[in-house]
Amino acid sequence: MATTELKPDQPAAAAGERSARAESAPKHRGTAHGAPFNLRYLQLGDRAAIAALTVTAAVLSLWNLDGAPSYQDDEGTYTSQAFAVHSGTLAPYTYWYDHPPLGWIQIAALNWLPHLLGLGDGTTIGATRYVISVYFVASALLLYMVARRLTMRIPFAALTTVLFILSPLSLVLGRQIYLDNIGVPWLLLAFYLALSSRNALWHHVGAGICFAIAVLSKETLSIFGPALLLALMYRPKWSNRSFSVVGFLTAGGLLLAFYPLSALLRNELLSGPDHVSLQDALAYQLLNRSGSGTIFDAGSSRAELLSGWLYFDKYLIAAGLVAAVVCLLRRQSRILSIAIASFATPVVLGQGYLPAMYIIGVIPFLALACGSAVDITWSGVERLARRTPVLTRPLRTAFVAVLAASLLLMSVPQWFEQDRTLLTAQTNSNWRSAMTWVQDNVSRSEVVLAPYSMWHDLNSSGWNNSWTMIATEKPDLDKQFDIERPGGWREIRWIIVGPSVTANIDSLGLSRVKTALQNSEEVQRFGEWSVHRVINPPST
Amino acid sequence: MSATLLASALVLIIAVALFAIAVSTLYLNTYAWWDPKTQVRTSYSGLQAREGQSFSLIMPCRNEREEVMRATLAALLAQTHSRKEIIISVGHDDTATVEIAHRLAREFPEFVRVSVDVSERKNKPRQLNKALSLCRNSVVGVFDAESIAAEELLAHIDSVFATKNADVVQGAVQLINYKDTWYSLRNCLEYFTWFRSRLHAHSRQGFIPLGGNTVFIKRELLTAVGGWDGACLAEDCDLGVRLSTLRRKIVVAYSPQLVTREETPDSLSGLIRQRTRWSLGFMQVFAKGDWKALPTRRMRTIAWWTLMQQHFMALAGVCIPIAIAAAIWGNFPLVVTLVTFLPLIPTLVTVAFDVCMLHEFGRDHKFAISWYDYFRLVAGTPLYQMVLAFAALRALFKFVRRDFAWEKTDHSGSHLAYLLPGAAEPARH
Repeated sequence: MATTELKPDQPAAAAGERSARAESAPKHRGTAHGAPFNLRYLQLGDRAAIAALTVTAAVLSLWNLDGAPSYQDDEGTYTSQAFAVHSGTLAPYTYWYDHPPLGWIQIAALNWLPHLLGLGDGTTIGATRYVISVYFVASALLLYMVARRLTMRIPFAALTTVLFILSPLSLVLGRQIYLDNIGVPWLLLAFYLALSSRNALWHHVGAGICFAIAVLSKETLSIFGPALLLALMYRPKWSNRSFSVVGFLTAGGLLLAFYPLSALLRNELLSGPDHVSLQDALAYQLLNRSGSGTIFDAGSSRAELLSGWLYFDKYLIAAGLVAAVVCLLRRQSRILSIAIASFATPVVLGQGYLPAMYIIGVIPFLALACGSAVDITWSGVERLARRTPVLTRPLRTAFVAVLAASLLLMSVPQWFEQDRTLLTAQTNSNWRSAMTWVQDNVSRSEVVLAPYSMWHDLNSSGWNNSWTMIATEKPDLDKQFDIERPGGWREIRWIIVGPSVTANIDSLGLSRVKTALQNSEEVQRFGEWSVHRVINPPST
Repeated sequence: MSATLLASALVLIIAVALFAIAVSTLYLNTYAWWDPKTQVRTSYSGLQAREGQSFSLIMPCRNEREEVMRATLAALLAQTHSRKEIIISVGHDDTATVEIAHRLAREFPEFVRVSVDVSERKNKPRQLNKALSLCRNSVVGVFDAESIAAEELLAHIDSVFATKNADVVQGAVQLINYKDTWYSLRNCLEYFTWFRSRLHAHSRQGFIPLGGNTVFIKRELLTAVGGWDGACLAEDCDLGVRLSTLRRKIVVAYSPQLVTREETPDSLSGLIRQRTRWSLGFMQVFAKGDWKALPTRRMRTIAWWTLMQQHFMALAGVCIPIAIAAAIWGNFPLVVTLVTFLPLIPTLVTVAFDVCMLHEFGRDHKFAISWYDYFRLVAGTPLYQMVLAFAALRALFKFVRRDFAWEKTDHSGSHLAYLLPGAAEPARH
C-alpha cells in the first residue's frame, strides 16, 4: 500500500492486521500521529492553533476590507444578484444561466446583516464583502481541519493555514465577492467529511451533499470531483464501502440535478427561439465563448492570466507544484497531487475560456500540498535521526533553518510588500467620487449606463429601475433592452466609464455602448473613472 | 393573491412533511450501515457454555396444510438447545388443523402438546393467550405456522438472555422467495431492512414495536402483563409498546445464519389484506394510547412517529399524486415547485441504498442476484409503494368505520383475513 511511505511511525496497514485491530481501535485509519483528528476531542495544541488562526484570518480579512483591492464588475454583479434574491428574483436582469445561483443565494441569506449594521462605508458592495470574509475565515479553519485529517502534525497543519491566509494571491482574491470564495469552504468541508476516520456512511453522504453545494455555488469547482472521490475510496476496503460510494454519488448527484430541474420547470432547459436556456449558456461557456488561447503562446490571454496569478504569488504556486510531486510519497496526500493535477490540466492543455478566479479553488490545495510535503520531509528527517541518534539535533536544526529561510524568502520581499499595500491602500476613492458625483448631479429620470461595480449602489439611490440605471453590458446582451428602450442607444444620456469599460466593449462586442460613447463628451474625471454625457446627434 | 399564497403555503407544508417522512425512512433503513461498528453491535453475542433458559415455543396454526406444519415443527424439534417444549395452538372450529395437531403431538409426546382455543371470536392473540396458560418453561417463544427456524437459534437466543440480561429477545425473520412474483422481491428486501436495520434503530431509541414471529419473552413477565391483548389486531406491536413503557430490556439480534425463513403472501390481494391488517393494528395501538405512558418526552415522540407511520403512508398515498399535479400544473412560484421536489432526494437515495442492500441480501443468503433482479427492484418500487399506500388508506377507512377485520371475517366466513398460511406480517414479524 504505502510502500514508499517515509513515516517511521506509520502503523502497519496490512489488511489482515487491520481487521484484527478493528475491534480494539476501530477509529484509526492509518493515522500517523496519535489519535485521528476529531472536533469533539481536540488536543490542546489543536485548540490553540485553531484559536490563533481564526483570529489571524479574521483580522487580515477584515482589515481595510473596503479600501483594497478595487471593486470589480463581477463583485457588483453578484451583489446586485444577491439583492435581487431579496426581492424574489435571481438577477436584476434576465437570468441567463451564467452560473448556478446557489452562490449568490447564500450571499443573500447573509448580506442583509452587514447592510443593516451600516458596514462597508455605506455601500452595498462594501457591505457584501463582509459576507465573503466570513467564508474566508471558514475556509481557513476548514483547511486546518483537512490538513489534520490528512495526518499532518499540528505545526505543519498550522503552517498550511498560515500560507493560505498570508499569500497575497489568496488574500486579494479572498476578499472579493466571487462565487469561488463561496464554494471553497463547502469543497473543503466535503473533503473533511470524505476523509473521516470513522468510515461512517452519513459522513460520506454529507460529503456528496457539500460537494454538490460547492458546485452549485461555482461550477468550476467540479474539477475537484475525481480527487474527492479518491479521498473517499483510497483506503483499505471497509464493509460499507459500496454504501458509501452509492450514497456519496446519489445524494450529490440528486442535489446537482436541481439545477437542470429548475431550468426545466421554467421551460428554459433546452434552447429555443425567444428565451434564454441552460443549453445556450453551457454552449456559450464551453464552446462559443472566445477562448483564452494556449498557455504556450506568450501573447494569449491564458498566458497573461497565468502571469497575473504569478505576479500575486509565484512562490506559493511554484512551491505548491513541486510539493504536489512530493505528496505522491504518502498515501493520504496523494489526493492533493490528483487535485492539483486535475486543476492544472485545463490550464495547461486547454484553449477554451479561462476565468481569472479559477485559481481560487486550487489555492487551498497548493497550501495543503506545501504543508504535506514539509510534513513528509520531517518524517524522513526523523527516520534518519532515529538511525543515527548522534545526528538528531543537527538534522532537526537544519530542517527548521531551511524551512524558516525559505519562508522568509517568500514572505519578506514579496508577501510583506503586497500584503501591506492590501492592508493600507485606498484604491476605491475615485470609484467612490465618480459614484457620488452621479448621485449628486444626474436626474433620476435620465438613462445612465454604469459599470456593475457601482450599479446596485446607484440604482438603489433613487433610480430603482434597471432599465433607467442600466448595467453597461445590458443594452447589447439582454434582449429586454429593445422592449424597454425602443429608441436604442439614443435614449442613453450618461455613461460612467471605469477601468474595465473599454476592455469590455471590445471583448464582449458592445456595439451600442460603443456608439453611445463615441457620441459623448467627458464632463467629469476622477483618476481612471470618468463620467460622459451623450450628445444626441441629429436623427438620420 | 391570498388564495395563491394559501395554496403555496399548503403545498410547502405537505412537501416538508413528505420530506421529513422520507428522511426518517432513509435514516431507519440505513441505520445498520451508518457505521461499521453498528454491524458488530447488532449481532448475536457468542455462545455461552451452559444453557440458562428453557423454552416453551408456541406455534399458532389456522387452516394449515399438514406438510407445512410438519416442516415448521421439524425445525423446532431439531433445535440444538435441549430444554424446549412446543405447543401447537389451534382453534376448536378449525377441526382439520386440530386433527393434524393432535396427530403430531402423538408422534412426539415428549416435546409437543396441543392448545385448543374455544373462544367464540377467533384471532391470533386469543390463541396465543390460551397456549400461554399451558407453558411451563422460563421463556415463551412464538413461531408462525410456516416459518423455518435455524437449528442453533434457541442456543443463541439463550446466550443473548444471559449476556445482555434481556427480558425480551427479538430474532429476525426473512422472506426468501424473492423470485416468485414482482412484489415478493420488494417484500423480501423489506424484511431484510426491517430486521437488519430498522428494528435496531428503534431499539437504540428505546421504543420497539415487536414482531409476532421469532420473538422470545420471559414467561413470568408475559404472565404479569396479562399476555397478549385479545382485542388488538397488532398484538405483537402492542406488547412491545407495553413492555417499553415498563422499561423492560428488549434486545434485537441479527445474524444472517440465524434468521427464521418464511414466504411472502401468495397473491397480491393477500399482500394487501395482510398490509391492511397490519396498518389497522398499528392505528389501533396508537389509539389505545399506552405509548403515552413512556417515561421520556423523547421516547413518546419517537413512539408517536413510529405508530403514525401508517397514517403517514396513507397521507403520502393521497399527497404524492396531488403534489406532482400541483408541481406541474399549479403555476406556483419556482421556489415552491422546487421544494415539492425535495422529498424525491431522500426517496431516491433510499432506492439506491436498496440496491446495495439487495446485494448484501444475496450475499448473506447465498442467492445469485441477477441484473434483472436489481432492475425489478428499482422498477417495482413505485408500484409497491402504491400497494402499501392503498393498504394504508384502506386501513384508515376501516379504522374510521371501526371495521376491524376479524369481526367481518367471523360473519362472512372468509378464512383469509387472519392467519393465512405464510401470511407473515412484514415489519411486525
